Amino acid sequence: MSASRRWLRTEYVLPVVAFATVLVAFLIVPGLAGEQLNQGSYFNAFQGFAPLGLVTLAVGLPLIAGEFDVSVLGMQALGGVLAVRAGGHSGLLGVAAAVAGCGLLGLLQGIAIARLRLASLPVTIGTYIALLGLTNVIASNNTLTYGNLSASVWVDQPVLTWFSPRSLITFGLCAVAIVLFGATRLGPELKAMGSDRRAGRVAGVAVERRVAALFTCSAALAALAGALFSYSSASASLDPGLQPLILAVAAAVLGGVSLSGGRGAAWGLLLGALAVALLEELFSIIALSNSTTQIVFGCMLLFVVSADAPDLRTTMTAAATRYRRTDGVELP
Amino acid sequence: MSAVVPRLDLEAISKRFGAVEAVREVSLSIEPGEIRGLCGHNGAGKSTVINIIAGLIAPDDGQVRIDGQAVELRSPRDAQRHGIAWVDQELSLVDTLSIAENVMLGGIDARLLRRRRAERTMTRDLLAKVGLERHDPGELLSGLSLGERQLVEIARALGRGARVLILDEPTATLTDVEIERVFAAIRRVAADGCSVLFVSHRLGEVLALCDAVTVMRDGRIVDDHPVAELSADALVTAMLGEQLELAPHSRRDEIGETVLRVRGLSVGTLVNDFSHDFRSGHVYGIAGQVGAGAAEVLRALAGLMPDATGDVRLHGRPLDLRHPVRVKRQGIGFVTNDRKAEGLFLGRPVGENLTVAQLGRVSRRGVLSARLERDCAEMLAAAAGVDAGRLGQPVGLLSGGNQQKALVGRYLQTADVSVLLVDEPTRGVDIGGRAVIHRLLREAAEAGLAVIFATSDLDELLELAMTAITMRSGRVVGVYPDEVSRQVLLSDLTHLSERHGAGPIEAVR
Amino acid sequence: MSAIPIRRPPALDRVGAGRKILAVLGLATGVAIVIFAVLTRRFLTWDNIKAIFSSASLVGIMALGLTFITLVGSLVSLAVAPVAVVCAMAFLSALGLGLVPALAIAMALGAVINAGQGALIGAWNVNAVILTIGAGFLIDGFAQTVHGGKIILPAGGGYATLNSTPLGVPVAVYVMVGLAIAFQLVLKRTVLGRQILLVGSNRRAARAAGLPIGRITTAAFALAGASIGLGGAFLGAFNTGASTYLEGTLTFDAIAAVLVGGTAITGGRGSILRTLGGALAIAAISDVLLLRGLATGAQILFKGVLVVAVVVLTQVRLSGRDT
Repeated sequence: MSASRRWLRTEYVLPVVAFATVLVAFLIVPGLAGEQLNQGSYFNAFQGFAPLGLVTLAVGLPLIAGEFDVSVLGMQALGGVLAVRAGGHSGLLGVAAAVAGCGLLGLLQGIAIARLRLASLPVTIGTYIALLGLTNVIASNNTLTYGNLSASVWVDQPVLTWFSPRSLITFGLCAVAIVLFGATRLGPELKAMGSDRRAGRVAGVAVERRVAALFTCSAALAALAGALFSYSSASASLDPGLQPLILAVAAAVLGGVSLSGGRGAAWGLLLGALAVALLEELFSIIALSNSTTQIVFGCMLLFVVSADAPDLRTTMTAAATRYRRTDGVELP
Repeated sequence: MSAVVPRLDLEAISKRFGAVEAVREVSLSIEPGEIRGLCGHNGAGKSTVINIIAGLIAPDDGQVRIDGQAVELRSPRDAQRHGIAWVDQELSLVDTLSIAENVMLGGIDARLLRRRRAERTMTRDLLAKVGLERHDPGELLSGLSLGERQLVEIARALGRGARVLILDEPTATLTDVEIERVFAAIRRVAADGCSVLFVSHRLGEVLALCDAVTVMRDGRIVDDHPVAELSADALVTAMLGEQLELAPHSRRDEIGETVLRVRGLSVGTLVNDFSHDFRSGHVYGIAGQVGAGAAEVLRALAGLMPDATGDVRLHGRPLDLRHPVRVKRQGIGFVTNDRKAEGLFLGRPVGENLTVAQLGRVSRRGVLSARLERDCAEMLAAAAGVDAGRLGQPVGLLSGGNQQKALVGRYLQTADVSVLLVDEPTRGVDIGGRAVIHRLLREAAEAGLAVIFATSDLDELLELAMTAITMRSGRVVGVYPDEVSRQVLLSDLTHLSERHGAGPIEAVR
Repeated sequence: MSAIPIRRPPALDRVGAGRKILAVLGLATGVAIVIFAVLTRRFLTWDNIKAIFSSASLVGIMALGLTFITLVGSLVSLAVAPVAVVCAMAFLSALGLGLVPALAIAMALGAVINAGQGALIGAWNVNAVILTIGAGFLIDGFAQTVHGGKIILPAGGGYATLNSTPLGVPVAVYVMVGLAIAFQLVLKRTVLGRQILLVGSNRRAARAAGLPIGRITTAAFALAGASIGLGGAFLGAFNTGASTYLEGTLTFDAIAAVLVGGTAITGGRGSILRTLGGALAIAAISDVLLLRGLATGAQILFKGVLVVAVVVLTQVRLSGRDT
C-alpha cells in the first residue's frame, strides 16, 4: 500500500474537508449575504469554540474507545454550579472545586463501568439524571448568579484580538490531547479498545485502567467547560438541555470519529469542533434564526451518521450488482 | 530427558468448572527450543490448559514454572511479563490499526512516547523474520489475509521476546502456502531458543512440525512421545482410546427432480463460476479448506453476499440472491457456521429458536397461537433430539452439540423449505452429537429436501454426502456422484498427493 | 463426553463476584426503600396512590412505546420530547375536526416521524442513538419554526375530555394502563412482537434467518411513535397549549422509566409491563420524597441513582445467563 493511500481514509479526510469547507464558507458567505466580517466575528467564533472544544473531547475520546458518555451534560451543569458556589472570592478555587469534584465522580463512574464490564450508555444516562438532581440540590433549585466580577471579566478578556483565556485554555487542552493521542501509545490503545475490545485486552492493553481514566477525563473536561462558561455568563444554569451534547457529537462525527468505535483522532476532534463553532458564528452573522440553525445541524448530523452506517455498503453493493450482466440473464 | 531446566513446566495442574473436572493432574514439561504438539478431542482439556498458561484462568491446584521459577499468572499481562505469548485462533489483532501499531500494541514495557521510526524499523525486522518482508509496517491490517495475520501475531510475540509461544489451532483457517510460511516462522523461532506449544487436531501437521507430541483425553495426559516413535494411527488411538470407526458412507444415484439450478455463480474473488444442478431427496457435500469458496457458495445461495452474480433458479423460477428475506421466502433455509454470533438467539428460549422459521404457521392473521406454537416446538424438538423439557430455557444454556441440533432443527419438517444449506454442520460438536446431526440431515433429504452442506472435514464429507463436490481457490475441482477415495479428495483440496509424509488421515475431530 | 466447559478468565471471576455483591446490596436497598415508603405518613392512602398513577401517566404512556425501540435492539430514542411536542401541536390544531380525529392525527404523525428514523436504522444499521439525537434536533427546530415563539392554542374544545377524571381517576391513567396491556399483548402474542424480540436479541442471526429487519424495526419505531403522539396529545391537553418549552425532561424521564423497569438496553429481553412498573416506581419514589419534604433536586437525584442501580442489577442478572 503506497504512502498516499494510507492517508486517504475517511477518518483523516473528513475532518480536513469539513473544516476547509466551513472555513471557506465562513469567509465568503457573509459577503454574499450583505454582511461584514470583522475581528469580532472571529472572536465570537472562538468564544463558541471554548466550551464546545472541551465537550467534544469529553465525548469524542470515549467514542473512539467504544464508550458513550451522556453524563458530560450533567458534569457540565454540576461544574458550573460548583464553580459559582466555591469561586465567590477566588475564581481559581471555583474552577478547581468543579474539576476535582466532577473528576472524582467521573472516576467512580469509570471504575464501575470498567470493573463490572457495564454498558456505558444506560449507566451514563442514569448518572446524567442524578447529576442534574445533584446540581439542583446544590443550587437550591435557583439559577445562581456569580458575583466575582474580576473572574468573569478575566476569562473573556481579548487576547491577540481573536482569543480569550477561555478559548486559549481549550486550545491548550486540545493540544495536550493531540500529543497524548498521536505521540504516545494511548492513541493506538484507545482505537484498539473501540475496534475490538477483546482483542485489545488479550494483546495486553490495560483496558480497565484506560476506561476509568477516560471517564475521569471526560468528567473533568466537561466540568471545566461548565465552570468557565458560568464565569463568563456570570450565572450557572441548572439544566443546559441536550444542545451541548448534540453539537459535540456533531463535531466528533465531522471530526472523523466512527460511531462503532476504533476510528478517529484527537486532531480530528479539534477540527470538527472548530468547524461547528465557525458554522454557529456564520449562522449568527447572517442572522439565521435559531430554529433554522437547528434544522441545518440536525440534517448535517443525520447525513453524516447515515453515511457511517455499517449496512449501507451492503445495500449499495447489492444495488450495483443489479447492473452486472451474467449470461444475458437479467436478475429480478 | 536431559538435565536442562525446562522452559515451561506444569506440575499437577487441575481445574474444575462447577461439577465438571476439565483438567486433572496435568503435568507437562517443555525444553527451550522444543516444538511440542498438544493433541486431543474437543473437551479433552487442551483449551483449559492453554488458558491457564496464558493467564486467563487460574488453576485450582498445581504449579506453573517458567525456567524453573514458580509463577502466578492472573492476567494476559502477567503472562506477557513472564515471556509467554499466546496466539489464539481468534486473533488479537485490530483492523483499524497499522501492522506496526498492532505489533506494538499492549506491550507491557512499551514506553509512553511512541518513537515511530524505531517502531517501523523494529517491525520491519520482525516481519522479515516471519516471512512478511513484502509488507510495509504502515499498512492497515485490514488488507492482510488470515494467514498473514497469523504471522503478524507471531511477529508480535517475537517482538516481546517470547520464551514460550503457544499456538492454538493456527492452521485451521489457512491455505497451504500460508501454512508453510507459518511453519517456517515457527521453526525459525524455535531455533532461536523459544519453546513452542502447537495445539492442533491436524495430525499430519503435528507429526511434520513437532519434536514431541502430548496427547490429552478426558482432562488427563495419556501419551507423551517424541515424534520419531509415533505414527498417525497410534496418535488417533491415543486420542480416542480406540480405533476410529468410520460410519459407512452411502452413495445413491441422483434421483428426484432438479430443485435448484445454479449456473455461473460468482462472488467477487471468492467464488468463480460455480455451477451445479441440485436435486430433491439428495445430500450434497461441498468440501474445501477455508477460503476455497465452499462456505461462500452457500452464503451466496442464502442471499447473504450482496455481490453475488449468476443464474440461479429455484423450481424453475429465477432467484434474487441480493436479499436474504426474499431467498428465505422462496424456500431456502440456511444454517450458519457460527451458531452463537449468527445462528441462534442466545437469550431467547429454545422453543422460540426452533419456531423462528415457522412463525406464519403457528399464528393466525398475525396473532401467535400458544397451542400451535407449543405443538410445533415439541415436534421440532423431538425431531432434532433436543430435550422437550428445556424448551422454555434460553438456548444459550445448552451445550454446543444441543445448540447445533436446535439450530438445524429449525428447518426440519417444514414444507416451506425445499433447499437446506448447512455450513459446517458439526463444528464444535462432539462425536455423539455429530452422529445425530448427520442423521437429521439424511432424514431431511429423505423427506424431499435438497440438502447442501459445506465442510472442511473429509471424514464428514465421506460419511454424509451422496454427491461430493470439491473446491479450491473459488473453483470447482471435482464432482463425485459415486464412490471416491480420501486420497483423491485430499489431492483436490490441497493439490498435494500426500501431505508431509504423514498417513492419509487429514483431520480428526 | 463431558460438557464443554465455559471459559472464565480470573478477571471475569472478579467481575462476577463484584456484580453479585452489588446485586445483594441493591436488593437490600430495595427492601429498605419499600419499608421506608410504607412507613411514610399518607403514603398508603387512596388519594396518594391515585396521585402516583396520575403523575406517572404522561411519561408512562410515552415510555410504553419507547420500550419497543429498546427491545428491537436500537437502544433508545433521544427524540421523544420533540416528537411529543410536534404531535401536541398537531393535536391542538386539529381539534377543530373533533377529538377522535385529532387524536388519530397526533398518533399517526408520531408513528410516521418515528417510522422514518426506524427505516434508516433497520435497513442500514445506522447508529440509533446519534440518529435520534440528530432527528430530535431537527424536529425541534422545525417545531420552533412552526410555532414561531408563540404557543399553539387548542382549535376546539375536545381536549377537556382528556383532562377529565371519571371515577376520580384521570383519563390518562386509564389510557396508560390500557395501552400497557394492549402493547404487552402485541409483544408477547403477535408475530410482530416475536420478530421484534428476535431482531433485538441477535440482529445478524435475524438476517441469516431471513427476517425482514428493516420492516420490523420500522414497525417497532412506528408503535413507539404512536404512543409518543398519544402522550403528546395529553401533554397539549394538560397545558391547554403547546410549544417547545414543554419538552423539559420528557425524553430522559421516558428512558428512565424503561431502564428502571429492568429491560436490558441491548434488546431482545424485557416487556412492556416492566416499563409500566418502572414508571410507577419512579413516580412512587418521587412521591415519597415529596411527602417527606424533600425538594425537586433530591427527587431527580434519587431518580438517577435508581436508574444506575437497576441498570447494574439488570446486567448482573443477564451476565449469569448468557455465556
